[in-house]
Amino acid sequence: MVSTRRDAVIVGGGHNALVAATYLARAGLTVSLFEQRDRVGGGVCTEEVFPGFRFDTGAHRIGHLHPAMVADLKLAEYGLQVVPSDPAVFAPQPDGRHLLLWMDPAATIESIRPFSPGDADSWLEFSALVCRLAGFLATLHSAEPPAVPRPERRDVGTLVRLARGLRGLGRDSMTEFLRVLPMSSFELMDEWFKTDALRGTLAAASVRGGIHGPMAGGTAYGLLREVVGNPAGVVRSTLRVRGGIGKLAEVLAAAARAAGVEICTDSAVEHVLTNGGRARGVVLESGEEIAADLVVSGAGPGVTLSRLVDPAVLDPEFLRQLRSVRYRGATAKVHLALGELPDFTCLRGDGPHLRGAISISPSIEYLERAADAAKYGRISEQPYLEAVIPSVADPHMAPPGKHAMSVLVQYAPYHLRDGQWDSARRDLLGDRVIQTLAQYAPNLRNAVEDRQVLSPADLESRWALEEGNIHQGEMTLDQFFFMRPVAGWSRYRTPIDGLYLCGAGTHPGGGVTGLSGFNAARRILRDR
Amino acid sequence: MPAESFDAIVIGAGHNGLTCAAYLARAGKRVLVLERRPLVGGAAVTEELFPGFKYSVCSYVVSLLRPEIIRDLDLARHGLEILPLESTFTPLPNGDSLLRSADHDETRREIYRHSPQDADAYDRFGRLMYRMALAVKPILSMAPPDPTSMSLKDLRGMLRFGKHFRDLEQEDFFTLYKLMTMSSADFLDEWFETDALKATMSASGIIGTFLGPRSPGTAYVQLHHYMGEIDGVFRAWGFARGGTGAVSDSIARAAEGFGARIRAGASVERVIVKDGRAVGVALENGDTISAGLVISGLDPKRTFLRLLDASDVPADFRRSIERYRMRGSSGKVNLALSELPSFTSRPGMGDHLRGAISISPSQDYLEQAYDDAKYGEFSSRPYMDIVIPSLIDPSMAPPGKHVMSLFVQYAPFELNGGWNDEKREAFGDAVIDAVCEYAPNLRDAILHRQVLTPQDLEDEFGLTGGNIFHGDLSLQQLFFLRPAPGWANYTTPLRGLYQCGSGTHPGGGICGAPGRLAALRVLQDTRW
Repeated sequence: MVSTRRDAVIVGGGHNALVAATYLARAGLTVSLFEQRDRVGGGVCTEEVFPGFRFDTGAHRIGHLHPAMVADLKLAEYGLQVVPSDPAVFAPQPDGRHLLLWMDPAATIESIRPFSPGDADSWLEFSALVCRLAGFLATLHSAEPPAVPRPERRDVGTLVRLARGLRGLGRDSMTEFLRVLPMSSFELMDEWFKTDALRGTLAAASVRGGIHGPMAGGTAYGLLREVVGNPAGVVRSTLRVRGGIGKLAEVLAAAARAAGVEICTDSAVEHVLTNGGRARGVVLESGEEIAADLVVSGAGPGVTLSRLVDPAVLDPEFLRQLRSVRYRGATAKVHLALGELPDFTCLRGDGPHLRGAISISPSIEYLERAADAAKYGRISEQPYLEAVIPSVADPHMAPPGKHAMSVLVQYAPYHLRDGQWDSARRDLLGDRVIQTLAQYAPNLRNAVEDRQVLSPADLESRWALEEGNIHQGEMTLDQFFFMRPVAGWSRYRTPIDGLYLCGAGTHPGGGVTGLSGFNAARRILRDR
Repeated sequence: MPAESFDAIVIGAGHNGLTCAAYLARAGKRVLVLERRPLVGGAAVTEELFPGFKYSVCSYVVSLLRPEIIRDLDLARHGLEILPLESTFTPLPNGDSLLRSADHDETRREIYRHSPQDADAYDRFGRLMYRMALAVKPILSMAPPDPTSMSLKDLRGMLRFGKHFRDLEQEDFFTLYKLMTMSSADFLDEWFETDALKATMSASGIIGTFLGPRSPGTAYVQLHHYMGEIDGVFRAWGFARGGTGAVSDSIARAAEGFGARIRAGASVERVIVKDGRAVGVALENGDTISAGLVISGLDPKRTFLRLLDASDVPADFRRSIERYRMRGSSGKVNLALSELPSFTSRPGMGDHLRGAISISPSQDYLEQAYDDAKYGEFSSRPYMDIVIPSLIDPSMAPPGKHVMSLFVQYAPFELNGGWNDEKREAFGDAVIDAVCEYAPNLRDAILHRQVLTPQDLEDEFGLTGGNIFHGDLSLQQLFFLRPAPGWANYTTPLRGLYQCGSGTHPGGGICGAPGRLAALRVLQDTRW
């Protein structure tokens, strides 16, 4: 590899980094991207974990990719096909009943009706409301946070757009937005629904990726985030990438290369070169130096600014704030190689219900109890589970007749009260996941041929996710918008000139949407 | 009997109702205050529960009473005397303790003993919170503007708001935002390491809420309780000589001095409405009293769901009030003691008994207390804020004997199986057991005990749900949302009906601001 100076060096090959790199290259910059692993995509990756069994080991579902980005980068032409699973969610219940959330509101309502006619009747009004509120949240997500408390002249446009968006909701919805945002999802559910199954299934989406339970303030915002981008009347959707989520990484990489980005895998960045408060390039672990005026990091704020940068060059107050960023990952992944499909007692055999997300979240209390364990550094005995079986729709993900099941598990806190994550604790977690699933699909216990358990510590070491937080930082209101990642530094810049952040640790945060990379690239190009 | 006529009737002689009446009478209005109980004061009363033993039965410390009210109503002249409550003592299970007193150096030494780093942080933190309280203070003395409204009045208010915040230092603005959105535990974790110190400070963030210290939203409540401390520093935290009833009595005397009439033992059954206008009230004894205006100091649910016919209340407003959350979470235990408690960590008599005694040894202790309540049980080992008023004001107990007041959390109003005499005593026993772990002699020192459950608070004092603040102090129920969107300015959808209780801005505590602001609003609206 010829070591000439680049305009921009991208640290890490996560999906946001790929997006940022591509936009910079399209703007005429010479861009090189360095990824420590043997493939790009970061948490967006499909791996053959066991012979013939391929798993989406990181994210096992994607968010709504920013439409402008999909169009700009012509991702469809590179073969990206995003398919909404229908039903989006299958929620088996302990009492032998089940709830299905479909893409068609009418079908969802019919699934709710046996539980409670009243809740079924409320569904349309509820989904309409949250979709309206999420509409404004979408505006917020694609906007660059203004300077507060004293906005700058160039913020005026943003502020006007936001004000118009908020006013545009109409007075009632505007009030609802301001009222709902700080609520707990429990309180929101309590205002609308009586059915535990429904309350639990919706609240589950509000706590995914965090350490809080649904009774904690601010979790209603998590539920609204889940709705962003959904078609009207759809509260929960499960988006699948045809060919496995790794296909998205391939497509983004192809678009990046086509734009002229040089992609270097198996090349970890050792540290960022700075000089006089300016970024000058990076040094790879191989010792090679790459000079560049722009360094854009897809890694989290802590990794980038306290590991890749010499903290001595940073202001102590900034470092204090940086250390105050909360990660506290409590999400683990378990991958099961199955000899046969799970057979749920509440809905037997194969069927559409196995094509979407399978949510083990029978009630808000169930979720809250699972979260209680994490407060005291313990692993939930009855964890909240979200499982997907991509091999049902994509047979090539598993050997003929067999299946690959990916399970997102909460709560498995990164910080264990007694000791560290070791193989014994991984096994304990794996056992609990299988026991929990087997309560709903008894055949699963014997169907498991092999299993992989990724603890938050494993997520951290694999993808440099601090404390295993899958969003590069808690997605709470105090770490949202102009507070993300660090108050006063929410505009993708850092105290080091020329060093930018573009990962999920920046606004608008986690989820596979590409927005952080998109917003960051826009900011970087404006600054030039 | 001939129907009397008044300019205004105030329902409920709580301290806010009395304050409202006093301000109206001061402006020359003919005001009648009606109180259901035989004595005035509502939850701010002193009662001789056992011969010679006087108690501040419910509210027990004076913290937030607005200085402008003390001034305007000349409460000192009417007998109000605040005795300082200057220390907070936290006994610990390991035989150690933490004592914070008004003596800055002593407190610093004490904290230093636990953690040198915390001793430094404590001063910086104190200054910061002082600035925060100052930043919020103006908001407490004004009716909150509604950001969703287009009325000139609200727009002007919002501009004033905007300016107020633009003038804040950036660091202060961000801290204020964090206080609005964070959990008190997380907020304190950014500053301190001593568990007992953090627990005791975060305890003020859970008082009167149904949240644990690790739940976002509690940091604001902590700030709410700080605000009392700034007017004349510690002086504003204290006992009223003669118990909190003396506060109500002094306001009542002031009101009567201005010509207001106060009738105790007069229970209002309903508000009389004629063509959408409140024209008077009907008492339980059948009397009807007409007036130009009716002002309710009762909580929102009581006022709008009980005193009014459903047909008189607009449906959407009624829905807002129905979903307004009043989850009682605390109880009260009042003890008559033959001798002072002797704490194993600080045996015998000492200044540490003259202030607040906080049973909050650790954050986990508080969280576990909360966990019990979440699932419908009272805390087996509750958080307690204990005071011994007879040490400061000997007139409260017979010579050589003492009264002890224990504020206890959590005790959920909706207890599994409901509250009954047996549960009440079990709750009382749990409280005594928990204190005896730190002061073993207490058990035998108890001459009498009164246990108040949230159910008792509702039955006896008319606090719906046993909620001591007339509604959770959560962000979605504050400012322009308290008690309902569009009706946070002390008016109601019914002409001639106003509200002046803690269910209006700025909320609970012996503060008087709701009563005062409501009176100002009434005077603004009416041209008599």
